[in-house]
Amino acid sequence: MRGNQTVKATLEAINSMEADGVIGKYAIGGAVGATLYLEPAATLDVDIFVTLPTAPHGSLLLSLAPLYDYLKARGGTVRDEHIVIGGWPVQFLPPSNELEREAVAGSVLTTVEGVTTRVMSAEHLVAIALCTGRSKDHIRILQFIEQDAVDRGKLQSILERHGLTPKWKQFEQKYLEGIHE
Amino acid sequence: MSKQEMRKRLAALSFSEKVKILERLRDRSFALAASGLRQTSAVDLRKKADEDKGSKD
Repeated sequence: MRGNQTVKATLEAINSMEADGVIGKYAIGGAVGATLYLEPAATLDVDIFVTLPTAPHGSLLLSLAPLYDYLKARGGTVRDEHIVIGGWPVQFLPPSNELEREAVAGSVLTTVEGVTTRVMSAEHLVAIALCTGRSKDHIRILQFIEQDAVDRGKLQSILERHGLTPKWKQFEQKYLEGIHE
Repeated sequence: MSKQEMRKRLAALSFSEKVKILERLRDRSFALAASGLRQTSAVDLRKKADEDKGSKD
């Protein structure tokens, strides 16, 4: 019934975009990315952090238009801020700061049913969730901590590098006091 | 099996297996939404209100 409505089909399409030069390096973030390290949690979309090829004439303006055109020509449909590929709504997010750029650059290789893909490291997922700061991001950080799924040393290094230590201390005070280290 | 043990077992599955579970969770969400059992979200309600307002204008 679902046919090609699988994450595998979605990732195959994204890998084709990368191979065709429509996008640069990409990494899965968000809830699907966190699933590499945690128990699966219900989500309706896939967050793909994607570097875009440099625009011609050295323009600094980055556009997702070529990416959307490529996918629409191959059956993708636009739905609000998502484009549906392989049955899954995908949100393409060009890195908006150095932390996200580093997270894409340092992403880890993995496979989904034989399809190679890249997922952000657990420590970068936690740091980005801390930055984003919604309730569901805080819950996800707590899951990483409770399940001992982050390397605390690597996380501290990332937090220091990106000026997030004060924010982490606030998070610790609010949510982690009383939880054994 | 305790809830904590169950979560550990689920977390220890391969990424492919966990993605399969994500797909099943998503299918279940759609089935619930289609059956009308799930309460309409605030965003959906706002969209509907906007559409109703537009149709009256």
